[in-house]
Amino acid sequence: MADQNDVDYEHIEYVDYKDTEFLEQFINNQGKILPRRVTGVPARVQRQITTAIKRARHLALLPYVSESIR
Amino acid sequence: MAQKYQYELTYVISGVVKQNQVDDIVRKVNHLIESNGGDVLEVDEWGNQRLAYEIDRKRSGYYVNMYFQAPGTLIERLERELEINDDVLRYLTLRMDAKMQRHYEQRKERRAKEEAAEETAEGESDEEEE
Repeated sequence: MADQNDVDYEHIEYVDYKDTEFLEQFINNQGKILPRRVTGVPARVQRQITTAIKRARHLALLPYVSESIR
Repeated sequence: MAQKYQYELTYVISGVVKQNQVDDIVRKVNHLIESNGGDVLEVDEWGNQRLAYEIDRKRSGYYVNMYFQAPGTLIERLERELEINDDVLRYLTLRMDAKMQRHYEQRKERRAKEEAAEETAEGESDEEEE
């Protein structure tokens, strides 16, 4: 998961809602957005991830609730 | 003339709609933008994709992602049009700020590079790229 700082999150300028592969790292198997204490990304980036995930959900690119538990 | 902004619009057309009707909708949207003082910069049709969840009993949708420049007054009309159309399941319009524009340019560059790489890999290397 995104627990380690091996990826350079500091330099992310814009989080794209279209990049579902990237966003999937930040949701759990229920489809919930992971908290920052788990993801460990900078606050600025976490905020962007949150909006991006919500936009992706609206367009049905990401689930609100995962298939498996519905 | 009112000030123009750059926008990104993604909309989802119901997956049960036939291809020629899909083309009609896409054409209508583009026409609406262009006839109201807007410029379509790019239309990227992702094609039919599985939806992450069911919308109106539909499991798949035809995604269209586009970029255009237009005065802000157009957006209201455009969104109204999309809202009325029952075949459009979802839409999202975003006004692009400087960061998004930069991101968009980078994406475009990356895609152009990928395409170029594919071409050179496919055809004979007839171009001199160091």
